Amino acid sequence: MGSVKRLTVPGRYDQISTICDFVAQGAEKAGLDEDATFHVQLACDEACTNIIEHAYGGEGEGVIDVSWQVNRRTLTITLQDQGRPFNPDAVESPDIPQNPDKIDQLKIGGLGLHFMRRLMDEVTFSFDTNRGNTLIMVKHIKPQEAK
Amino acid sequence: MTIWHKQLGGGPVGAEPVRLVGVRGRLDQSLTPQLEQNLSELLNQGHKHLLIDLTEVEYINSGGLRCLVSIWRQARQQEGSLSLCGLNHRLSEIFSMVGFDKVFNIYPNSEAARHHQSGA
Repeated sequence: MGSVKRLTVPGRYDQISTICDFVAQGAEKAGLDEDATFHVQLACDEACTNIIEHAYGGEGEGVIDVSWQVNRRTLTITLQDQGRPFNPDAVESPDIPQNPDKIDQLKIGGLGLHFMRRLMDEVTFSFDTNRGNTLIMVKHIKPQEAK
Repeated sequence: MTIWHKQLGGGPVGAEPVRLVGVRGRLDQSLTPQLEQNLSELLNQGHKHLLIDLTEVEYINSGGLRCLVSIWRQARQQEGSLSLCGLNHRLSEIFSMVGFDKVFNIYPNSEAARHHQSGA
């Protein structure tokens, strides 16, 4: 098991790039290529945006705890906040009509969650009254990427 | 983020003018309010047809996409249009991941958009 690296930042949009840089260190440690690293960073960006917007209901209302750990086959990223419980099942999925005639019916709610699930291999939400919201995202390391 | 705009030249005689808007930077929540405001102002000034050049945009998240959809809606309400060009492979991947490559007219570059406008 690799050691766990931790970072705590205020829940503000201008801190998201700091979190992205931090998780990129984990991606580098895992040997992920540039595209996979971009996926990890974007997933974390979307997760932090959701925390600020939905869990805390705005900027500066609490902190975001981030940690990453590299094991032989996985990069695991954990984000925690003390905001309102987040229920992913209550989030509407984006509805993008494939028929151009129905394009006015475009609904883009839940884009962030959609990206997180598409960009990462595992996405798990949980809530505990003491620890708050915990989001665990896992990226599998392809054999050729593993160091 | 830097935003500039100019008339897209070379279109056919009588065609409605297209405003070419260049963007440089990251299209995320911290910067998209400025872009949305600028694009909304252009629409309100009567520039109904906008072509956004994303050649110098290296990053976009859901906030950036929401901004573009918002302006796309405003343009359609004014019987105008919003097209895009210059997406790098990462932006193209993000757009196709949510089906936005079907929503927007996307061209390789502004030249290709101008040729399409000309019917070439």
